[in-house]
Amino acid sequence: MKGRLKILLLLLASVCLLASACQPAKEVGGVFISGTSAGDAETLNWILAADSASFGYAGHTVDSLVTYDNEWRVQLRTAARDVEVSDDGLVYTVTIRDDLMWSDGSRVTAEDYVYTLESLMFSDWLNYPYKSDWQEEVGGEAVFVTPQVVDETTFTITRQTVYPEFIYTVRGLVPYPKYIAVKYEGDVEAFTQAPEFNNLTYTGNLGPYKFKEWLRNDKFVVERNPEYYLGKDTGAPYFGQYIVKLFGTSATAHAALEAGDITYTDIDPDKVSKFKKMEGINVYTVPTTGYLFLAYNLRDNGWEGLKIKEVRQALSLAISKGLIIEQVLYGFGEPAFSFIPRVSPCYVDEGIAKYGVEPLLDKEEAKGLLINAGYDKPLTLTLVTNAGNDERENIGYLVKEELGAIGIEVELKFVPWATLLRKYLMNKTPGTDEEPRYNNGAGAVSEEPWDLMVMGFSTNPLSPSGQDVFYSTKGGLNFFGYSNTQVDELFRRAKSEEALDEGARKELYAELSRVISEEQPVDFLAFQLANAAFQKKVKGIEPGINMGYNYHLWYFE
Amino acid sequence: MRKTWLRDYIIKRLFYAVIIAWGILTITFVLVRVGPSSPADKYLSNLAARGEDPAQVTAAIEARYGLDKPIHEQYFNYIGNLVRGDWGWSFSTSMPVIELIKTHWIYSFQLILFSTILAALAGILIGIYSAVRQYSKTDYIATFFSFIGISIPNFWLGVMLILLFAVQLGLFKTYYDTSIPLFSLGNLKQLILPVVTLGTGMMAGYTRYTRSAMLDNLRKDFVRTARAKGLPETTVIGKHVFRNAVLPLVTIIMFDLGSIVFGGAYLTEIIFGIPGLGRISFNAIFADDYAVVVAVTLISAFLVLFINLATDIAYAYLDPRIRYD
Amino acid sequence: MILILLAALWLLTLLLDIFVVERIFDPLGYLYIALGIVALLYVVWPLYTGRRLVQYYWQRVKRNRLAVVGLAFILFLILLALFGPLFTADPTAVNFEEKNIPPVGFSIEESVYSAETGQFITKTASGTWEHPLGTDNKGRDLLAMLVSGAGVSLQVGLLATGIAVALGTLIGVVSAYLGGKVDNILMRFTDIMMTFPFFLLLVFIVFIFGPSLAFIVLVIGLTGWTGVARLIRSEALSLRTREFILAAKALGASDGRIILAHLVPNVISLIVVIATLSIPGVILAEAALSFIGLGDPSVTSWGMILRAGQQSLDVTWWVAVVPGVMLFLTVLAFNFVGDGLRDAFDPRSNV
Repeated sequence: MKGRLKILLLLLASVCLLASACQPAKEVGGVFISGTSAGDAETLNWILAADSASFGYAGHTVDSLVTYDNEWRVQLRTAARDVEVSDDGLVYTVTIRDDLMWSDGSRVTAEDYVYTLESLMFSDWLNYPYKSDWQEEVGGEAVFVTPQVVDETTFTITRQTVYPEFIYTVRGLVPYPKYIAVKYEGDVEAFTQAPEFNNLTYTGNLGPYKFKEWLRNDKFVVERNPEYYLGKDTGAPYFGQYIVKLFGTSATAHAALEAGDITYTDIDPDKVSKFKKMEGINVYTVPTTGYLFLAYNLRDNGWEGLKIKEVRQALSLAISKGLIIEQVLYGFGEPAFSFIPRVSPCYVDEGIAKYGVEPLLDKEEAKGLLINAGYDKPLTLTLVTNAGNDERENIGYLVKEELGAIGIEVELKFVPWATLLRKYLMNKTPGTDEEPRYNNGAGAVSEEPWDLMVMGFSTNPLSPSGQDVFYSTKGGLNFFGYSNTQVDELFRRAKSEEALDEGARKELYAELSRVISEEQPVDFLAFQLANAAFQKKVKGIEPGINMGYNYHLWYFE
Repeated sequence: MRKTWLRDYIIKRLFYAVIIAWGILTITFVLVRVGPSSPADKYLSNLAARGEDPAQVTAAIEARYGLDKPIHEQYFNYIGNLVRGDWGWSFSTSMPVIELIKTHWIYSFQLILFSTILAALAGILIGIYSAVRQYSKTDYIATFFSFIGISIPNFWLGVMLILLFAVQLGLFKTYYDTSIPLFSLGNLKQLILPVVTLGTGMMAGYTRYTRSAMLDNLRKDFVRTARAKGLPETTVIGKHVFRNAVLPLVTIIMFDLGSIVFGGAYLTEIIFGIPGLGRISFNAIFADDYAVVVAVTLISAFLVLFINLATDIAYAYLDPRIRYD
Repeated sequence: MILILLAALWLLTLLLDIFVVERIFDPLGYLYIALGIVALLYVVWPLYTGRRLVQYYWQRVKRNRLAVVGLAFILFLILLALFGPLFTADPTAVNFEEKNIPPVGFSIEESVYSAETGQFITKTASGTWEHPLGTDNKGRDLLAMLVSGAGVSLQVGLLATGIAVALGTLIGVVSAYLGGKVDNILMRFTDIMMTFPFFLLLVFIVFIFGPSLAFIVLVIGLTGWTGVARLIRSEALSLRTREFILAAKALGASDGRIILAHLVPNVISLIVVIATLSIPGVILAEAALSFIGLGDPSVTSWGMILRAGQQSLDVTWWVAVVPGVMLFLTVLAFNFVGDGLRDAFDPRSNV
C-alpha cells in the first residue's frame, strides 16, 4: 500500500512538473497586417537608404545588437551582453552571440561586423548616408573610429576622443554578410543592384521573419522564421506572416482597419474618437520623438528684431501652446519648451522657462516687451511652411491669429517641400561663389527672405546632444542662424569625457535646457503623441514610446 | 499589285514609327534631366545634418546611379541598353525597370480590358437601339445620358462611387486588395467600381458615335433595297447597317485604347489604389525616377503607334476602296 | 447686340482681374492681352461685320434647347466668377471654430475625444445660412471657395484653349497651304506630340518646373493643340483649291496675307466649335492636376477642394460632392453649347 501511494505521488508530481514546464502553447499562425499611408520604402539594401521605411522593412529580417524597452532599459538582441566601455571612454567592446547564422549555414562572426564597418560604411565608393556617425574630429580633421576583430565573437571599436553617447550608435549596428559583399566591393552600381541584398536572401536566423515578397507601392510580405535565434525558447514569432500594406490616403487605411481587413494602423488625431468607440479596436496613445516648432530667422534677411532675445521671448509669450495642441493636434501633444522630451531620461523640469503656457502666456506683457525693445509700430512678418502638410499649415493659421492679437500682421506662404528646402533653408553668403548649404556661417542668407517658419524635427531621447546640428553655431542644419557661445560650450561638454558620469551628464542637459528655453532660438511648440490602433485580438502589446520592441512576442487570441 | 502596295505602306509606316519613337524618347529624356531636382534631394537634409557638403553628397548619390556621366554619354548608353533589352534600374523602387513593369502591367491591363468591353458592349447596343428608335423617349434619355457620361469628370465619379457604395453602403472595400487571386470572382467584384468609373466616359462616346453612324447608314439606299426584298428588320439592321458602321467604330475604340491607358486609367488607379502602370509612373515622377518615366512613356507611345498602324492596315486590307498614298 | 455685351463682359473681366480683385496674375495678364488682340481681330470684328450671318446662325442655335440652357449656365458662371467674390466670404479665411460644418439642411453628430479628460464630448453641427454650403476642415466657407474656383476654371479654360487653338490653327493652316515638305515635317512633329501620353506629360512637366497657375495654363495650351491642328488642316486643305484663294494668288497676294486674311477667317466656324468643345477638356485637365496635388497652392481651384474632400470622405462628404457637381455642370454646359454650335454650322443637319 505504501509503495503504491509513493508511486502515485511520484506520478502526480511528475505530471504537475510537466504541466508547469509546458506553457500553454501560443497559437502560431495568422497574418498580422500593418497598414500605412506614409509611403513605400526605397530599397531593402538598407545600407544605401536614407528613408526610415527602408530600415523598417529590412529590420524584420535582421536584428540590431541591442534594443530598448519603453523605459529605455537595454534589451539584448544579437549581442551576447551589453556593449562594454573602457574606463577612459575610448574603447568599446562588443560581444555577439555564438548561435547566429547566415542563410548558407555559416556563422555570423565579428569579422562580418568589422567588415561592414571598415569596408562598407567607411568606404568612399559606397557613400554610406550615416557615415559621420562613426567619425570624430581629431586635429581639425574628420577621422573614422577604428574597429578591430578580437576573436570570433568579439570586436572592439577604438576612439581617440571621448563621446559618451557613441554607445547608442554602436548598439544599433547590423551587419552585412562579408562572404557576399566582397563580390561587389568597389563597384557601387553592382552593389546597388545586387540581387542578394535586394531580396534579403542572406538573413539566416538573424530576424523573426524571412523576406517573402515585395509588390511595390502595394505590400511588403515577410513570413515566420522558424530558426529565429530568439525563438528557440519561446517559439517566437507567433504570426505566420507579417505584411505591411500601403494605402494612398490615411482615410483608406482607417476604413480598412474598421472593416477588419488590417490589424494595425496609426490613426489621425481627428479620427481617434471614432476608433476609441469601436468594439473590436484598442487605441493606444503613445509618445513620439517628433516635435513641432516655430523657427525665427536670425539671419540677415529676416526681421532684425528677431535677433534680440527679448523680442523672441515676447513672441513666444503671445503664442499659446495649449491652443495649438487643442486645435491642431486635437489634444494629442505635450507642450515643448526645449528639445528634450519628458520621456527622455535626460529630462529635467525645474528651472525651465515655460513660455506659451500659463503664467508665461500673456499678450499684454508681450506687447510691452516689444515696445520696450523699440518696436511699437505696426509690423508685418512672413511665415513659411510646406504646403500639403495639414498640421503645419494649421499651426501657421493659428500663429497668424495669435500674433494678430498683439498687433503683428502675419503673411502666410505655403510652398512645396523642395522649394522650401532650396529657397528658404539653404543659404549662402551673398557676393560669394560658395555652394548653398543648410548653414554657411553667420553672414549667409537664404535665397528668399522669411521671418517665421513652422517646422518639425525628431530628437533622440537617449542622446539629445545630437540636436547640436540644429542649435550650435556650426551645426550642419542650423538653417535659422542661431549662435550662442554658452550653448555651444554646453553641447561640447555634453559630448566630452565630462559627460561620462551619468549625474554630470544629466546636470549638463538640465543647464542646456534652461538656457535654451530662456534664449528661445526657436519657439518650441509641442511634442506629438501618436495613436496606434490595433484589433483587440492582438495580445502582448506594451504601449509606450518603444512599443515595437517586443513585437516578436505578440500573438493573436 | 495590291499586296506590294500594302507591304510598301507598312514599311513606310514602321519607318515613321521608329522616328516618332526616337523623338519621344529624346524629348522625355531631355525633360527629365533638365529638371532642377535630382534623386539626391531626399538625402540632402539627412546628410546636411551631419555637416556634409550638399554638392558633394549630390555627386556621390548620382555616381551610385550612373548619373554623373556627361549627358550625351548617358543618352547613348540608355539607347544602347534599351535595344539590348536592359531598360535600366529604377532607383526609387530598387528593381530593374523591366521587372517593375512585368509585375504591374497586369493590373492596368485587366482594368482597361474590362472597361473597354463594358463600354463597347453597352455603348454599341444602346447606340443601335437609339438609332433605330430615333426621336423616341428612349432615344432622348440615351442621348441625355451619353452627354452626362462624357461630361462627368471621371476622377470625381470614382470618388462619388466610393463614397456611396463603399463608405455609406459598405458593399465594397475602399481599396484594391492584391492578395485576392487575379482569376477569381472576388477580384471581379472589387473591379466593379473602377471599371464603371473608367467605362462610363468611354461608353458615352461609343453610344453617340454608334448612333450617328447608324443613322447615317439607315438613310442610305441599300437599306431600302434590303427592306424591299422583304428581309426581316433585325437582319437589315444587324447584318447590313451595322456592318457598315462597325469599321469606323472599331477605329475609334482602338484610338481610345491608346489614350485611355495613360489618361483616365491613371487617375482611376490612383483613386482606387490599384497598383498598375499608371500609379507606378505617377510615383516615379514624384521620385524623380527617370528610368521608369521614360520607360512608361515609351510603352504608351509604342502602344499607340502599334494600334494606329494595325488599325490602318486592317482598314486598308478589309476595305478595297481604300488606298493610302 | 449680345455679342457686344459679351465683348464688354470680357473686357470687364480683364480689368477687374488686374485692378479690383487682389489676385495679380501677372503672366496671366499678358496672356489675356495677347488673347484679347487675337480675339478682337478674328472673332469680334468678323462678328460685327457679318451681322446678318451671325443672326442666321443664332436662330439655328436657339432652336436647340440644350445649347441654350448650356449657354445660360456659362453666363451664370461668368457672372459668378466676376461678381461672386464681392458677396461671399474670403475663401482663404481660416476659422477653426467653424470647421466641418455641413451644408444647410444637414446636420452631423461629431463625437470629440478630449485627450485630457479621456471623455467623449458629443457635438452636433448643423448647417446654417451663414455657410450655405458648409465649411471644410479648416473652417473655410465652401461657397466662397467654389466661387473662387469658378474664376480659376474659366480663366484656365479660356486662356489654355486660346493658346491651343491659336497654335493649332496656325500650324494646321500653314501646313495645309504650303504643302509639300513643310507639311510633311509639321505633320510628323504633330504625330510625335500626339503619341505622347498627354496627361503623363502634363504631370511630368508641372512637377519638374513647379505648379504656378500661369505655367499650368501655358503647358496645357502647348500640349493640347494637336487635335486642333489635324482638323483645321483637313479643312484648310479643301479650301486651298477654291476659287477665291486662287484669285487672291493671281492678284499677287503674299502667302502670309492669304493665310491670315483669307484662309483663317474661313475656318472660323470650325475653330469656334473646336474651341468650345476643347474647353471642358482643359478645365478637367487643370482639375485633375490639382486633384493629384500639382495645382497652384496659392489659388483655390475646384480640383484642390475635391482632393481635400477625398481625404476625409467619411467625415465631410460635402467637400467632395459639391466641387465635382460644379465641374460636371460646367463641362456639361460647354458640351451642350459646342454640340449645338456644331449642328448650327453644319448645313446638312436639319436644325
